Amino acid sequence: AKALHGKRRPFRAVDLARFMYDTTLTPKEALLKWRGEDDQEDEEMEEDIEQDDETFFKRSGKEGDDDLREDRTIPRFDYEDLAAKWSNEDAVEALRNRFATANLLDEE
Amino acid sequence: MSGAKPEFVRLTGHRAFTQRLVLSTLTGRPVHISKIRSGSPTHPGLAPHEVSFLRLLESVTNGSVIDVSYSGTTITYQPGLITGTVPGVGASLASDLIEHVLPAACTRSITYFLVPLALLAPFAKAHMNVRFSGPGVITSGTSLTGDLSIDTFRTAVLPLYGLFGIPPARIELRVLARSCPGPGGKGGGGVVELRFASQVRLPKTLHLNRRPGRIRRIRGVAYCTGVSASHNNRMIMAARAVLNRLVSDVHVAAQYDPAPLVGDKGSAQKKKIGIGFGLSLVAESSADGVIYAADEVAPPEGGVVPEDIGTRCAYQLLEVIAQGGCVTAAAAPTVLTLMAMGSEDVGRLRLGRDVLGREEIIGCARDLKAFGASSWGIRDAGDDEDGASELIVSVKGTGVGNIGRKVA
Repeated sequence: AKALHGKRRPFRAVDLARFMYDTTLTPKEALLKWRGEDDQEDEEMEEDIEQDDETFFKRSGKEGDDDLREDRTIPRFDYEDLAAKWSNEDAVEALRNRFATANLLDEE
Repeated sequence: MSGAKPEFVRLTGHRAFTQRLVLSTLTGRPVHISKIRSGSPTHPGLAPHEVSFLRLLESVTNGSVIDVSYSGTTITYQPGLITGTVPGVGASLASDLIEHVLPAACTRSITYFLVPLALLAPFAKAHMNVRFSGPGVITSGTSLTGDLSIDTFRTAVLPLYGLFGIPPARIELRVLARSCPGPGGKGGGGVVELRFASQVRLPKTLHLNRRPGRIRRIRGVAYCTGVSASHNNRMIMAARAVLNRLVSDVHVAAQYDPAPLVGDKGSAQKKKIGIGFGLSLVAESSADGVIYAADEVAPPEGGVVPEDIGTRCAYQLLEVIAQGGCVTAAAAPTVLTLMAMGSEDVGRLRLGRDVLGREEIIGCARDLKAFGASSWGIRDAGDDEDGASELIVSVKGTGVGNIGRKVA
């Protein structure tokens, strides 16, 4: 698993620190760049990243003119996506190790 | 405090308005915010809730100077001392409370005011006792503007202050009347009282960089105002259907209130507003101070069944838990700000990638830097199998602390 994550070019911690304080970018551009979605950097990504991208684009499309958007404490969730994601038994099982009901012997 | 020639921190835009003013007040640096919704053809300038927040700031500080331009698109704010509630100044003599009346046009939940107020309160000179009333107090979450409900604020944000040596036992939040958003998402009729009696010299340095632990139990509050009390049970049933597979210890309290009566201006007749229902869920982890929360409320125009609210809230909670880290996205600005205001020591905080990679957090980092805090250090938390998706943020405190208090 570690090797897989090591290959990930986008989402690198160092890059985020750099983009975060680059004031020539808007926060949105900085994030896009960090996710590696800006232009050329679309190499093969893992499935879960692709899912993230989808929700991200959907979200930004819906909000339209984001200059006039109010700030929200709770991010806007796409509930159809969430319902699809969490009604899937595998996703729930994958999250199980974050709960006290997890089988510890199996996991460690 | 500001010298003879104050040097303004210049910022633009209406985003993170309260956060910027809070930072300005805490660091004592005057701020100049321009281009506030200047591109909006219909509603340029400050919105009612922002004006109301400015008034609130004025009443809990002494010597603040606020200038709003004619069009409302530019403001300058020179912060004063955070006095808290001093009898005779702002507060009426008979009580030890500052009464803050929110206008009927307010579309934000009360937590829009409480979150920044709670950030100021530990640094106040005296106790911070504020009562919010008036036709604009919405205690539920808001679906249009995405604010937290007061239950989530109380159970998932206030306990975090304990990690900073600010005892939550001395913070009291009373909900005297509940209200959901009124017609069009505007106004409510609630009454909320915040008594913040734990003032500190400096917040402690926070080290929340361990694994976030496992979820042990889920608590929550289902609330209905002015609708059938059975909505509560329907929401709870739906949420439990999702969550019981993962945790058996799920307890959701049901809170039913009649709709608040609010009088119109100029007429003796009162009408019921703020009808609605919602659910707030909080997951507690085995690690100290790690809390995940989710909030869902029926939109003011209606048309959503309670079962949907319940399942959506449960799904949202699962999503928030899956994002990982020790602090959720909703509470992260509070925690990061308190860390930055702490002693000159490096604190560490573990956050999920999706939590840190939000525009709000990046804006928060830039604002903190603009107000003189140091930059964050970010590195991977790659010490275990969960660590791959999480980051550790190192925040160096500025040692600003509380100017009003000389002894700890």
